[in-house]
Amino acid sequence: MKKNRMALLAVLATGMFAVTACASPSQSAAAPMVKKASAPVTITWSSGTVTGTGLRKTMIQLFEKENPGIKVQILQQPTNTDTTRATLSTQISGGSTSPDVFMGDVIWPGQFGSQHLALPLNKYLPKSFFSRFAPGLVDGASYQGNVYGAPWYADAGFLYYRKDLLQAAHLPVPTTWEQVQADSLKLVKMHKVKYGFVWEGSDYEGLTCDWMEYLSDAGGQVFNAKGQPVMDSSAAVKALSFMRGLITSGASPAAVTTFQEPQAMNAFDQGDAAFLRNWDYAWSNSQTPNQSRVVGKVGVVPLPTFAGQGGTGHACIGGWDIYINPHSKHIAQDLKFIEFITGYQAEYTMASKFSEIPTNYAVQSDPKVKDLNPVLAIVSKTHLVGRPSQTPYYAKVSQAIYTNINAALSGQVSVKSALAQANSQLKSAGSSSSL
Amino acid sequence: MSDPAAILSGGKGRKPPSPRESMSRRNVIVKKTIGYVVLVLMLLVIIAPFYWMVVTSFKGNLEISNIPPTLFPHHPILTQYEQAFGVYGFGVYFRNSIIVSVSATIVVILFASLASYAIARLPIRGKAPLMVGLLAISTFPQVAVISPLFILLERLGWLNSYQALIIPYVAFNLPFAIWVMRTYFVGIPKELDEAARVDGANLFTTIFRVILPLATPGLFTGGVFTFVACWTEFFFALTFNNDTAFRTIPVGIALFSGQFTIPYGTIFAGSTVAVAPIVILVLIFQKWVVAGLTAGAVKG
Amino acid sequence: MAASTDCLIKGMEGETCMRVSKLDRQYAMAGYIMMAPALLVIALVTIFPIGYSIWMSLNTIQSTFTGFSFTFSGLTNYAIVFANQQFWQALEFTVFYAIVTVAVELVLGLLVALALNQPIRGRGVAVAVMLIPWTLITVISAQMWAYIYNGIYGVLNYLLMQLHIIGAPVLWLGTAGLATFAMMVADIWKTTPFVTMILLAGLQLIPEDLYEAAKIDGASVWKRFWHVTFPLLRPSLGLATLFRILQAFGLFDLPFVLTGGGPGTSTTSIAMLAYRAIFNDGDYGPGTAVAVTTVGIVIILALASLKALRTQVGEVES
Repeated sequence: MKKNRMALLAVLATGMFAVTACASPSQSAAAPMVKKASAPVTITWSSGTVTGTGLRKTMIQLFEKENPGIKVQILQQPTNTDTTRATLSTQISGGSTSPDVFMGDVIWPGQFGSQHLALPLNKYLPKSFFSRFAPGLVDGASYQGNVYGAPWYADAGFLYYRKDLLQAAHLPVPTTWEQVQADSLKLVKMHKVKYGFVWEGSDYEGLTCDWMEYLSDAGGQVFNAKGQPVMDSSAAVKALSFMRGLITSGASPAAVTTFQEPQAMNAFDQGDAAFLRNWDYAWSNSQTPNQSRVVGKVGVVPLPTFAGQGGTGHACIGGWDIYINPHSKHIAQDLKFIEFITGYQAEYTMASKFSEIPTNYAVQSDPKVKDLNPVLAIVSKTHLVGRPSQTPYYAKVSQAIYTNINAALSGQVSVKSALAQANSQLKSAGSSSSL
Repeated sequence: MSDPAAILSGGKGRKPPSPRESMSRRNVIVKKTIGYVVLVLMLLVIIAPFYWMVVTSFKGNLEISNIPPTLFPHHPILTQYEQAFGVYGFGVYFRNSIIVSVSATIVVILFASLASYAIARLPIRGKAPLMVGLLAISTFPQVAVISPLFILLERLGWLNSYQALIIPYVAFNLPFAIWVMRTYFVGIPKELDEAARVDGANLFTTIFRVILPLATPGLFTGGVFTFVACWTEFFFALTFNNDTAFRTIPVGIALFSGQFTIPYGTIFAGSTVAVAPIVILVLIFQKWVVAGLTAGAVKG
Repeated sequence: MAASTDCLIKGMEGETCMRVSKLDRQYAMAGYIMMAPALLVIALVTIFPIGYSIWMSLNTIQSTFTGFSFTFSGLTNYAIVFANQQFWQALEFTVFYAIVTVAVELVLGLLVALALNQPIRGRGVAVAVMLIPWTLITVISAQMWAYIYNGIYGVLNYLLMQLHIIGAPVLWLGTAGLATFAMMVADIWKTTPFVTMILLAGLQLIPEDLYEAAKIDGASVWKRFWHVTFPLLRPSLGLATLFRILQAFGLFDLPFVLTGGGPGTSTTSIAMLAYRAIFNDGDYGPGTAVAVTTVGIVIILALASLKALRTQVGEVES
């Protein structure tokens, strides 16, 4: 009996081997070299889920209507930026012609540009193309004078607050960080809410975003004009001391050092936090009944700054760009796709139907768009600050920042030694001969 | 019969009670019950986190991040499962994972049992370096290998196919399977081979009629590990098989997450369903867990 | 016959003691043929990528439009790696992690294997249940544990507070030493079934007669374990130790999902360093050097642990 079972397995194995080797269509078989002018070209677009409500499908439908000779096929990617970057760099550095275009993080131009993983768009598109974008975005997508990404949708940090709690405690909406801290403590002491201010303090890229906001508000920078790291400046000390102070004073729960966006959002959605620093998605998330217990109780304003600075605080630039694979066989069609998807019609649809912040400046400043939801209304009031991503070593730079800031926030090291350590790591991060 | 003392020393306690023991039958029953209770407690501890995963898959999003957490769903729903299968097309991933994992496992068991027998029993040269070499291949981190492997598969035109995964899985799981089965074969007494040969059996018959049926625990272990390794592998599946038609379960579940959202409910729903085939396979092949070695095959 | 009895149970080297003869040469031929399919597949698929990786570690690599550009640089990458403080930190953490988790898993795995070795009804179900942690996708298991350990809505804190074991929620993943401990618990939970399966299979090899003989000789429970079970289980223990060490050095998913390598860098493993170097920084040279170094270290540790188990005192009672 056993012998028969063995023999059967052997036959099955051989059979399956043969079947799978022959049956699966080879996706990379060479397409016919001669293309008839009327045959539609299909380009592949590697992208992750944006809103989960059909944004990309809509964009593709609109594009294909305008460009009947071109079809767009989505290659689904996970939305984790590190995982996607790993897959894309493996595929493109391996010479793959697919995907033709891909959705990439705003911090990739340095790495992708220097490793020839993206096409320099400025060599293929006229200068006038780039003037359609809101100021600062094109610089963020550039590396050494070449523009690698076309900004698709933008994102920034905002301060979300509980309208009902502030009203009940007769507190005005805070305009300085110090007020945020004081209000948090007050509300927690009054037992009106469990936690005061939640934000992202975990050991990851998001912490670099939060850090840039406090650092810029304190008047500091990561690199000075000469490109030297200045993370041990007094501004940096002020910023980090304040962040650590939020935890030690009890304004923020100690758990924020383990929070990424989902955890901070959850705390706020459950009604257990008075203030939240998060991206623009937090608005629609907090107003969705099956996700949130605080529907109708939320307000949003630009991030505050430190007392004495005046105006609104800095918000870190986020969002995603569209890049072209330099090995793509359909560059002309890829360029058409980029031109369309960053054009007025597509960006307006994206803003109005899907509540994403448009990168197209005309759309951003359109009063109709501003009326659509509170986040879009205040976007233009925010002072945007980018992360120091114009370097091929940005991953190391960011790591030097977030590992040390996180160490200080968890109380492992003092503020001063964390910043000194960060500074020395930033110095060595700039050279290619380091791990 | 479960005799805790026998359990601890490793025997199976199958000896019938001697006259002395039958005098304290109640004692025996108490010991037996203790044995069962210990096992059940162990299993409960092992299963507790998994229970939490399953329970979460039946909760709505709001209840999942509830403070304090609810140990049992207040409003159990099937929405997460509907999401996984309906919205995300989990069924396709399931089919692909089954095809890839079953194929790879069958091939590995076949090739590994032949190779392990040879290494364990036959007078071939260079066994030690071979085993160490296999170990070294097993050790090599996936992250270092994935780039050249991608290039290799691309040149062959095998990206986005079943063989893109089956063949690397077979290659990278064989070393461990060979190690497991060889360790097992070495433990089977040589007398059996010799006795079979004396009885006039050729090599083929010796292997398939005499040795392999006794080696089912080794085969089972190698098979289960290979299957689980293929079933849960993420990195290769993500990089080589981008296409939805060939996507496997681990990648599929990873795609449930949004940029800033981790939909625990849907993820756990997918994972709970993904556990089922392995449990079923284990139950089907459970006879293989036990060896026939002590069933009187060896005399003296 | 005497020669055969000596060869009854062998250690890790696996040398058979058949005397060379014409028949043996035929058997050897058969052996090579039987090994061929497996070795062929392995060689075809793994030799190129592994060789390529090792070659990469000896070069300075640039990613250009037409592919990678190689400039031979000998051991420069290794020098860079060994001079890097983060590497030693990660190595220290990984080694410590490997030793502790493997040791605990061997003990726990042995206990569970012994319990499952009983001819009880429903053993198949028990084995299936015991295997469940191992069958979960590593990343999903890590996410599940992140959810359990969460400092605000995690169920572990909730249960511990309900049982009055702690007064306030503990930040499992945000406190330096605790994060390591929490990760170890998650890892041990997930991978003990691996050890259990191997040991359970090994227990099947031990003939019942040996226990009977020992019992008749009046050996106590502990003596029976130490003198009958343990020595015969040595090969399986060795195998389990070997591959658990190997896997422990590949530790990646847990720190990646649970802590991101933090707080600070306290839970950054070697595999994370290799991943970051290759994918985040594009440093293929140093990254593959880390990978090759990992292989070297694991082989050394593996050979050492194999030797250690062989030299243990243990007699087979016949």
